[in-house]
Amino acid sequence: MKKSKCIELVLITAALASCNQPKKDWDDNYKVHVRSDSTAPYTRVYHHGGLGAAFLWYYAFRPYGNYYNGYYQRAGYYSGAISPLSNIGSNGFKAAVTRGGFGRGGFSVSS
Amino acid sequence: MKRITTTPRNHWQAEVEKLGFGFHTTNVPYWDESVYYEMEMSEILFIEKATAELWDLCLGAVQHVIDNNLYTQFGIPEWIIPQIEKSWSEDHPAIYGRFDLCYKNGELKLLEFNADTPTSLYEAGIVQWFWLQDLDKNKDQFNSVHEKLIAYWKYLKNYLNPGILHFTCLKETLEDLTNIEYMRDCAIQAGLETKLVFIDDLGWDDDSKQFVDLEDQPVKNIFKLYPWEWLMSDDFGKHIPEDSNRALWIEPPWKMILSNKAILPILWQLYPDCPYLLSAYFEEGKLTNYVKKPILSREGANIDLVMKDISLQKTEGVYGAEGFIYQDLFTLPNFSDHYPVIGSWVIGQEPAGMGIREANTLVTDNQSRFVPHLIV
Repeated sequence: MKKSKCIELVLITAALASCNQPKKDWDDNYKVHVRSDSTAPYTRVYHHGGLGAAFLWYYAFRPYGNYYNGYYQRAGYYSGAISPLSNIGSNGFKAAVTRGGFGRGGFSVSS
Repeated sequence: MKRITTTPRNHWQAEVEKLGFGFHTTNVPYWDESVYYEMEMSEILFIEKATAELWDLCLGAVQHVIDNNLYTQFGIPEWIIPQIEKSWSEDHPAIYGRFDLCYKNGELKLLEFNADTPTSLYEAGIVQWFWLQDLDKNKDQFNSVHEKLIAYWKYLKNYLNPGILHFTCLKETLEDLTNIEYMRDCAIQAGLETKLVFIDDLGWDDDSKQFVDLEDQPVKNIFKLYPWEWLMSDDFGKHIPEDSNRALWIEPPWKMILSNKAILPILWQLYPDCPYLLSAYFEEGKLTNYVKKPILSREGANIDLVMKDISLQKTEGVYGAEGFIYQDLFTLPNFSDHYPVIGSWVIGQEPAGMGIREANTLVTDNQSRFVPHLIV
């Protein structure tokens, strides 16, 4: 039933192996304030549903920018884990696009 | 079909983690190789044949729902109907689905069809295959998931919009991420340019009326592991019809007809002679022994198994607001108080393999385990 006996994976093993690390055990009283843009104020993040989950590395701060005439222009960083207040600030480039309008539906698809 | 107990591989956790399979155990075991199911080739051919036929019937049922405007029975809002019909008439790309089947006493019955966001793809396609290589390389398995995914992405390449194929799922769920990254892996191997963006990071540019990723690149094609009913209820859902790029969403909008359990009574109305279908109705009272299922629900939630007006088993959950269907009770086979359900994959219009999930009760829920299989 198998059409070939050779399976190669080019992406998934390295990417996901690094996700499977033990999460750091955070003390709820541990106070962390972050921002992703230098024009934005710091706000506190919380362990539950907050930056604690950033140890899944995909969930960390990601470069934010665009391509113009074939060149990449960095406009800063972005993280969905933190308050929009601390993601955008007065950065006009980031403010041009609205985010967070999807993803409120649930916790996991798992069906 | 036999249930065989066996000794797990030494350091099996490390073996599956090497494959990138990190959610093998949560608070309860999920991947369970202390047991496997042994299938005869004739049984596999039977499942394969049934899967192909059910897929054909499902396509006929979608056409019937569209032709007869039956959307209210599915709780589908009017504003998304043009998207459904356009994606159907224009044959927008669709790649996969998983039939959940009950196999007992030589009979095979469709329990439901996970047509929009089926999971356990990685376990079925990769993890159980490598388990078999360690157990016995000479044995075979009903499993061409990997080859068919790559082949179908190659085929679909010409039908996508020019540009990147984005992949998206929720954050903070390793299971969803594994499924989506596996699918992306196959697309990369098919030669497609891909990019991951989490669904809550997707942006909407109101000036250009388009969805964008975190680098403000327009979204032209997007494979989502996120159900249509959630997309529709999210704030950005209403932007889908006004998207200037007319992005191709995979699975396409017409799949929301098949992923809805309202399709079960429709299939029964259309094909009452099909040996793989159980009688099913929108109305209560037509069956003595039945399963009451919400038309939209996940992971065995809000299910009620009733025999002669007595509830055998009832599960809790948050679903049911959109309505219920009633399906003839055909209980899962009992292997020493273990109840397996067969997940039979359709990839690129063809049967492609199977995975078995085993529960300790008659309802397969989020506590069920994935158990490998082989062919003798």
